[in-house]
Amino acid sequence: MNHTSTKALNLTLKIWRQAGPDQPGALKSYTLTDISPDMSFLEMLDVLNEQLIAKGEEPVAFDHDCREGICGTCGVMINGQAHGPDSATTTCQLHMRRFSDGDTILIEPWRARAFPIVRDLVVDRSAFDRIIQSGGYVSVNTGGAPDANAIPVPGHAQQDAMAAAACIGCGACVASCKNASAMLFVSAKVTHLADLPQGQAERSKRVLNMVATMDSEKFGNCTNTGECEAACPAGIKLSNIAQMNREYMKAVLFSCE
Amino acid sequence: METGSARPKAGLIDCVGLRWFFRLLSSSIGQKFVMGITGLLLCGFLAAHLAGNLLLFAGAELFNDYAHKLHEQWELLIVAETGLAVLFLAHIYLAFATAAGNGRAREDDYAMKQPKVPGRVIGANTWMFASGAVVLGFVLLHLVDLRLGMEGIDLRGLKLKDMKPFDATVKVLSNPISRVVYTIGAIILGIHLSHGFSSAFQSLGLNHPKYTPMIKLLGKIFAFVIAVGFASLALFVPEIWRK
Repeated sequence: MNHTSTKALNLTLKIWRQAGPDQPGALKSYTLTDISPDMSFLEMLDVLNEQLIAKGEEPVAFDHDCREGICGTCGVMINGQAHGPDSATTTCQLHMRRFSDGDTILIEPWRARAFPIVRDLVVDRSAFDRIIQSGGYVSVNTGGAPDANAIPVPGHAQQDAMAAAACIGCGACVASCKNASAMLFVSAKVTHLADLPQGQAERSKRVLNMVATMDSEKFGNCTNTGECEAACPAGIKLSNIAQMNREYMKAVLFSCE
Repeated sequence: METGSARPKAGLIDCVGLRWFFRLLSSSIGQKFVMGITGLLLCGFLAAHLAGNLLLFAGAELFNDYAHKLHEQWELLIVAETGLAVLFLAHIYLAFATAAGNGRAREDDYAMKQPKVPGRVIGANTWMFASGAVVLGFVLLHLVDLRLGMEGIDLRGLKLKDMKPFDATVKVLSNPISRVVYTIGAIILGIHLSHGFSSAFQSLGLNHPKYTPMIKLLGKIFAFVIAVGFASLALFVPEIWRK
């Protein structure tokens, strides 16, 4: 599917339909005609839902918010790939021109024990929120905006921290990992503060608590396959996981926490 | 927070201050850390073991000399064997513990799953548990053949007791079952190492833009050398020294 389409598409969709958390689910087929290649993937689903509503059927539930790749709300497995075939792309940024006329597209929710299905393609990602909460806060009194040179931050530290902070918490790392591991997400959250002087006060406590919460939420372990990195729309790297491993071992062995 | 009630009595773990140790062993990152350390130490054993065994190509005298010198230092040998047993058991226990956790982390499978890593074929990193299990089977047979066999506990009827180490080893390697299992074991071990060696560094947090590419290459070379080295013993030693 590396070519791009310019003419309208006729598609077969196979979508996971599940009425509720404890209901049985199944893949259901839909046909869509005359889809513009300039539509985003979510707009294509909007078209499907309008047709379903017009027919008096239940529309497909899916999460979405900003539709410009910065909120981390959308995210589904498209033909077995988190956020679809493109790298560094969220589902809302994926365009229908990536597909060809006559394609069958399989759409499933993120699957992980820690992300129970709420309905259709919507999963409960509050496990991520609980990990963030357990990380606590940064107890530096920031006061007014400081002078730019008052807190020296080396350029590479600033860049690493900013790159890690780009994580939008969409859950594609968990979804794409064969072990449903949340290491990439947690590593981004741990390292972006560990890199900066403002994050030093709670550095050890933060990593210990976040990893403990990650484990208690029943995410899997890292097997270092790199699928999370490839699926991440925000470009978080495996080196973040190595840095988190360092942070964690330093905290366990040498901190007083 | 002080509640006014008496504090619970500190247990033994708290008295000796080992709470951190159990936190380490029960956490996902701590478990992978120990997995990585034990794996790398076992890699050290493999290198030493291969170096010694390559003397099989040099002939009976050199190999027997080496074996005798090794076994003369029996105090050291007890420490080394105990250490190796601990490394193996820890590595195997953690394989089961982490694999069980991974299995539970996704209860319902995807109808379709495709890799997104460019050019990735499902390789060694997906088969670490399976390849490890094959290697374990090979190691167990190897222990039955030589460790127990030389002691006179002859489970396979190879009659090695009172034989010199060189003759005993050649006899074991000439046994068709051992020969096939050892060759397959060595190749699967290489596949296990092709991911395990460099991945251990990642688990230990030793990732650095300057060194990681070299570690990855070293891992592949090490895996190749170990696999070819051990497989060559099973394949060629009986041919060369057939009487």
